[in-house]
Amino acid sequence: MSDYLSVSERERSEMLAFLGISDVAELYSDLPRALRKKKFALSDGMSQQETYEALASLAAKNAVYKSVFRGAGSYNHYIPAAVKSLTSREEFLTAYTPYQPEISQGILQATFEFQTMICNLTGMDVATASHYSGATAAAEACVMCAEGKGKVLTFGNVNPDTLETVRTYLAARGMELEVVSAPNGYAEFRPGTGAKVMYVESPNYYGIVEDVASLAAAAKAEGMKVVVGGNPLALALFRSPGECGADVAVGDAQPFGMPMSFGGPYIGFMAAKRGYMRKLPGRIVGETSDADGRRAFVLTLQTREQHIRREKATSNICSNQAHCALTAAVYLSLMGPRGLRDTALKCASNAHYLAKELAHAGAKLFYEGEFFDEFVTITPGKAYAVAAALEKKNILGGLPLDEHRILWCCTEMNRKADMDEVVGTVEETL
Amino acid sequence: MKQYTRTHEWVELRDGKAYVGITAHAAEELGEIVYVELPEIGAQAAAGEACCELESVKAVAEVNSPASGTVAEVNGELADAPEKAGEEGVWLFAVGDPVLADGLMSEAEYEAFLR
Amino acid sequence: MKTVFEKSVKGRGGFAVSALEVERYDYESDRLREELDLPELSEPEVAAHYTALSKRTFGVDDGFYPLGSCTMKYNPKLHEEIAALPGFRDAHPLARADKVQGCLAVIDTLSAYLAGITGMDAVTLQPCAGAHGEFTALLMVKAYHLSRGDSGRTKVLIPDSAHGTNPASAAMAGFEVVTLKSDDDGRVNLADLRLKAGDDTAALMLTNPNTLGIFEKHVAEIADIVHEAGGLMYYDGANLNAVMGVVRPGDMGFDLVHLNLHKTFSAPHGGGGPGSGPVCCKAELAPFLPDPQVTRTEKGFRFGRSEWSCGRVSAFYGNFGVYVKALAYIVTLGGKGLRAAAQTAVLNANYLREKISYFYPVGEGRCMHEFVLSMRKLREETGVTAADVAKGLIDRGIHPPTMYFPLIVEDALMFEPTETADKAALDAAADALKEIIDLAYSDPEALHSAPRTTPVRRPDEAAAARNPVVKG
Repeated sequence: MSDYLSVSERERSEMLAFLGISDVAELYSDLPRALRKKKFALSDGMSQQETYEALASLAAKNAVYKSVFRGAGSYNHYIPAAVKSLTSREEFLTAYTPYQPEISQGILQATFEFQTMICNLTGMDVATASHYSGATAAAEACVMCAEGKGKVLTFGNVNPDTLETVRTYLAARGMELEVVSAPNGYAEFRPGTGAKVMYVESPNYYGIVEDVASLAAAAKAEGMKVVVGGNPLALALFRSPGECGADVAVGDAQPFGMPMSFGGPYIGFMAAKRGYMRKLPGRIVGETSDADGRRAFVLTLQTREQHIRREKATSNICSNQAHCALTAAVYLSLMGPRGLRDTALKCASNAHYLAKELAHAGAKLFYEGEFFDEFVTITPGKAYAVAAALEKKNILGGLPLDEHRILWCCTEMNRKADMDEVVGTVEETL
Repeated sequence: MKQYTRTHEWVELRDGKAYVGITAHAAEELGEIVYVELPEIGAQAAAGEACCELESVKAVAEVNSPASGTVAEVNGELADAPEKAGEEGVWLFAVGDPVLADGLMSEAEYEAFLR
Repeated sequence: MKTVFEKSVKGRGGFAVSALEVERYDYESDRLREELDLPELSEPEVAAHYTALSKRTFGVDDGFYPLGSCTMKYNPKLHEEIAALPGFRDAHPLARADKVQGCLAVIDTLSAYLAGITGMDAVTLQPCAGAHGEFTALLMVKAYHLSRGDSGRTKVLIPDSAHGTNPASAAMAGFEVVTLKSDDDGRVNLADLRLKAGDDTAALMLTNPNTLGIFEKHVAEIADIVHEAGGLMYYDGANLNAVMGVVRPGDMGFDLVHLNLHKTFSAPHGGGGPGSGPVCCKAELAPFLPDPQVTRTEKGFRFGRSEWSCGRVSAFYGNFGVYVKALAYIVTLGGKGLRAAAQTAVLNANYLREKISYFYPVGEGRCMHEFVLSMRKLREETGVTAADVAKGLIDRGIHPPTMYFPLIVEDALMFEPTETADKAALDAAADALKEIIDLAYSDPEALHSAPRTTPVRRPDEAAAARNPVVKG
């Protein structure tokens, strides 16, 4: 058994003697006797090698696909080796939240850089240090914009996990969620709902790029605040939420250097117009100077937070996804504007090629409307059969939404030969 | 002539309005003030209830209004210079048609209270 | 140090994406953005930049890290390798259940271990951090009471010594917070609890050992009072490291528990996350766990849903890549190793406390895995504050303890050495504190101006908050 303890038997005896006791159990004398006497089973440990083998055998039970055409909130992108190498440095990996700025400038500055990148991508003035996921970022943004009461309006085409999470967070405070169905795939504003906030995604769950500017204008005309979500990779190409009139932009930055890892850890981001700066949930890093006038970074605007304001805090969030923010910052630094644009464009080009070829094979686009790297096809009664046929070829196909519709995703990882194999398999199945 | 509350605000009647600020003791307890959230003009102030907030780096203090009435003026200078809110004699907001709270103290009484 | 944006040179670098194999797709120009302001650097420049930043960060391998309440134990390197196994790393969360049986087995196995360690019956791994677990558990409390038609339970009892996340989570879950007074030794005041527990009590949130590192020895009585009032007992697992494998929250009378796998179970903290904050509960609360739940069937593991669920609290299944590391830790140590870890953590804390016992400790007798010192006397006598002492430790190569918490102790410094610290580190920390206290009386200015060995000295936090600069 490995135990990672750093004390020899002799040192233990010395320490016990120093404390004037003979057994470490004596240190537990404050615990009620009845509690201490309660028996429960304690297993034996293993060597590191045995642990590795045990866990590796579990990992081996998962399918590893030769190509992946499934997204729906988790995306298979190429991650430059430098991302893992740099972020794995022990100092970044093992540090706690930077409460002592003098010995935390590295993680503070990296977070500041992440905030800057998110602001630039979303067209906003201030971004938080991170949230658990795009789903919780959306939920907390809606609560913030509604000031904790009233109704939020959203659409049936937002990511279902996000929708459920928003619903949970709103219900907790007795707030209401009105979901306008989206039979045409895109969001259609419903006037007169009395909602205080509109949450819309672009690209939405079906991959469609929404007309955010028109939706935002309609919502604003009714005095609503506007929260816009969506895959941030699309922001490499399209007009930003800030430019389209959103108050707050949220999303999950998993595509920026994080593996799929069965759903997490990913990273929720939240960016807003300047007026929200003191209302935002979660940590924010700010720039200042030290006693000698040198530039320094600190956690700032802390009076919003739970450790100071307790039940009146803007959120309970404490630990966030700091290391994932670092990962995104390193990824975006490596990609640069050109690398990110090229990646987004390759994803979109692959998706449009696959959509066109699938249509020839009999799986037509289900929704009209411009899309990014995801799209939905219709194959009446055959969605699961298509998925199963692809599984047999060790391809993770699009996600069946029901018996008829499949939600596909392409990334820069998909080769033309893989896409052609998908098309061939679909043709055989139909 | 200023009067004082047990929660360390002062109030002074001038031109029919009640001007409100915090005492030197409150300012010292709070530390360097970095942000002032003033009430809106026209908001209702209730005697003994929170009317605005002062923030230091690691604390938040609510300022209770020593008078009931309508907020008639706010000290706009504090938006760009919040640190001034802790300075001697600087007012935060003024209540129009004020009805002063019960139990306000004179300066001498407040000093005795602090001891 | 310059930011990555300031180092950027127009036209430089940018990752080469493999060439298009299909026709390039062009969107209509009115949808497209004009500017995309990201750094333009070569890979060597990016590597140099972030390596330089890492050297301005203090991790657990860089020195003694007795940050109270945060359990900064060693993070085994093996776990990074395990989380990066292709079978885990490349698993899509929406793959068919029969294709990700390994991941589901991780969830099922870890859940079973955590239930065993806490004395509970059912577990969710969906919450992504401790505070997220608190929020989740309180939603379950709410759903439980409502399912019994008991809609009047609107209040959550929280001791004044609790972490700020407790009241903040209660507020987010729609509860009113009722604060309980502590006795002088930091334990819950039973009379105050009796007074405040009633038919409007939804739950009591309790950290045990509490934030002063003291075990709530009246926990059975506390549980009786809360249960008799019809409320539930919630265990904040922040301090489980003191008692894992020794006693179980389930045996103390608790109904729900949240754990911090990034503290107690050695998953690295990453500079502030990602963490993992599972909730464990007794059988009668299991129907209210967040959806989805992993269940065992004849065909293997599957996802299931409950009509009574408190809802979903995040995307997918939480931070899988974090909690798989906690599983590796538990497998390696075993129950016996966990108990040894807890006992050693308690031994280390008592040893350090005893070595500096002249230094204004709070409370009498023994502590658990952490302890609190009050710098009030030092401040009154020398003008040297808790923060000054902390900065003095930085200059001596030691990460400071938690400052100014718990709130019920004036000028608090909270030390948690953890079990992986060696005796030499404890002795060195005691010597460093002795040196600092002597310095406080001989040359307080030397401490007011600390630290002096760091890349930057004390930042002007007031200026940062007054005129926030939050992007470059």
